[in-house]
Amino acid sequence: MPIQRRRFFQSIAAASAASTLSAQSAAPTLPEKVATVAPETAAEPVQRFFTVQQRATLRRAASLLQPAVGALPGAIDAEAPEFLDFLLSVSPAPRQTLYRSGLDHLDSQANKLFQQPFSGLSAAQADQVLKPLIVAWTFDPPTDPRQRFLTELRADLRTATTNSAPYAKANANNSRRRRGPGGAGFYWLPIDPTRR
Amino acid sequence: MPTPTYDVIIVGSGHSGGMAAGVLTAKGVRCLMLNAGPVVDFEKDRTNKAAHELPFRGFGKPGQHPHVFQANEFNANTWVDEKEIPYTQAANAPYNWVRVRLVGGRSLFWARQSFRLSDFEFKAADHDGFGENWPIRHDDLAPFYSRVEAQFRVVGRKEGWPQFPDGNFVDGGFDAAPDSECQKRLTAVANKMGMGVSRMRAAIGENGLASSVNLSIPNALATGKLDVVPNAVVRQVSVDKNTGKANGVIFLDRHTGREMHAKARVVVLAAGTLETTRLLLLSNLANSSGALGHYLIDQQYGCNVVASMPEARDGKATPQLIGGGLFMPRFRNLDKKEKRNFIRGYALPMNTGSSPDPRYFTEYGEALQKKLASYAGSCVQGSIFGEVLPRKENHVRLNKDQQDAWGIPTLHIDARYGDNERNLCKDAADTMEEMYTKAGLEMLVKSDKVNPPGYSIHELGTCRMGEDPKKSVLNKWNQCHDIPNLFVVDGSSFVTGGWQNPTMTILALSMRASEYLADQLADGNV
Repeated sequence: MPIQRRRFFQSIAAASAASTLSAQSAAPTLPEKVATVAPETAAEPVQRFFTVQQRATLRRAASLLQPAVGALPGAIDAEAPEFLDFLLSVSPAPRQTLYRSGLDHLDSQANKLFQQPFSGLSAAQADQVLKPLIVAWTFDPPTDPRQRFLTELRADLRTATTNSAPYAKANANNSRRRRGPGGAGFYWLPIDPTRR
Repeated sequence: MPTPTYDVIIVGSGHSGGMAAGVLTAKGVRCLMLNAGPVVDFEKDRTNKAAHELPFRGFGKPGQHPHVFQANEFNANTWVDEKEIPYTQAANAPYNWVRVRLVGGRSLFWARQSFRLSDFEFKAADHDGFGENWPIRHDDLAPFYSRVEAQFRVVGRKEGWPQFPDGNFVDGGFDAAPDSECQKRLTAVANKMGMGVSRMRAAIGENGLASSVNLSIPNALATGKLDVVPNAVVRQVSVDKNTGKANGVIFLDRHTGREMHAKARVVVLAAGTLETTRLLLLSNLANSSGALGHYLIDQQYGCNVVASMPEARDGKATPQLIGGGLFMPRFRNLDKKEKRNFIRGYALPMNTGSSPDPRYFTEYGEALQKKLASYAGSCVQGSIFGEVLPRKENHVRLNKDQQDAWGIPTLHIDARYGDNERNLCKDAADTMEEMYTKAGLEMLVKSDKVNPPGYSIHELGTCRMGEDPKKSVLNKWNQCHDIPNLFVVDGSSFVTGGWQNPTMTILALSMRASEYLADQLADGNV
């Protein structure tokens, strides 16, 4: 196509687009913002990181480490295990390994002590597996990978629970605890990110 | 449009750059300020959100800021993205380089703890024979400290101790509430152990912010003598081949990569310690001494010791019983005859009346909840601000094998703490434990470990000042020995770091250097 003809068609197209824009901007009112819901309220998360066995171990550990207390939901109510499955799936490899081998260790200890998987242990039985792995610490976490795992698991379950929507809702309903975990804060949006 | 002619280009807009702009423009000096990042809009750039509304429930995007321990999902977008501007570290020597490139830099987010250095730091080599003295002493900087303290509205309690010089404190804002029983008990023990007990000193600024963006730059802009260009990634200080003097800087537009050359009679670097040194290394300037990039220091933070006051547990933590802070400025090695397995010293900041973190306990589930409820409000927590020795081997250099997003070589950091830092930290932890025990508290947890270098966000040195051009990069006016119209006014000029948060000293040095520069410009000496 000769260059002049091409420019002609380009100018026609531009004029047409401009008139369309003009017509749209002449609309008297803007549409209302579409109301939306969070994905968690509409669907279940697909779990892909942990094995079925590891998932069962994680859920049992979650029910014991971060149970519901009074009106405040526990880790299971807050779907903390399901969230951790997602979080770990996008985490650096060393943390993934820590979690996988940590859950496997809980299971192997359960089998060794009670000849059944961790997910089937009573609270008293599970305590014999969990308790030796929990150490008090500050600033420098334990270096033993199994203790480190349980340290992280306990803290992560707590965060995933207290920062969940069910917990925030329960917290808001309980005025005495409104200022506790799971609160709000200033979130910084991306500030003029580099466009290159 | 003709290119404007500036008297001074200021690279960086944090505390030191903002101060330079304020002082110079007030004296009629025409300035151009270049900043590598954008301007913050406090209304549009942040919004109130609940943690559950964040994509990662407050955990933050995994791996996003591996060296910024201070990062969380709420503030993640304020820190420099390490993928965009990477750096490398020596093997087994992690360094936490914590950066902000927004206009205002780290002055937007600092903790506002405000101290002066004393002659125990300025003349440290005279005291213990290690390293070099500063070419100035406290008396030289005192008038500038006083003016900075007034501008930043520093509050504190005067003590009259030589290792803790009093400031020009403003009235109001200081917690003058009577000491709680816990504070009294700890103070009595500390005094018996040879420590003075004071209170935290802090800048209250204006409307909760003590930053260049509200305390320095607005006044400079009001003079009509300051132009600010955001998103200007400076890659080189340019030099006139005939005179050997600096004549400007070359920068790239952050978004487009377009290269620009800004010219001025004088260049002032205020990009933050390591970015300033990186820029000088990139420009191949100011290194006749061989000291550029060396003697990297900071302050060691960490070493956490926590106890609980038994009488304050189970809902009995009244304000009369527990609450309030204590601050023990350096008390070690003030006497030259004192013999320890470390030189220099540390300060102990301590708070009382806090609630425990779950990690302090071995319980879990409902038992943990009960424990947390029982100990709520009963805790005493202490940590350290520890001095780090300036050693030549702790250094930075260019890594030409790795470039940032604009093709600029990055920095390689090789810094580690030594026995002096480790012994000092252990002494601090043991001292706190002794304090708690003697005060009748129940010990909960104790760590005598520190975070990696850089964690305190107080990186200093690498472009130090000194009398001898063979041992230092700058003279006592923050003026480059090699190039008289090149000044460095940020923390890179430090010779020693002390235990003190360096901001007041950076500001006072920048004010002093900028007034000197204005006089030199007026006299035609630069």
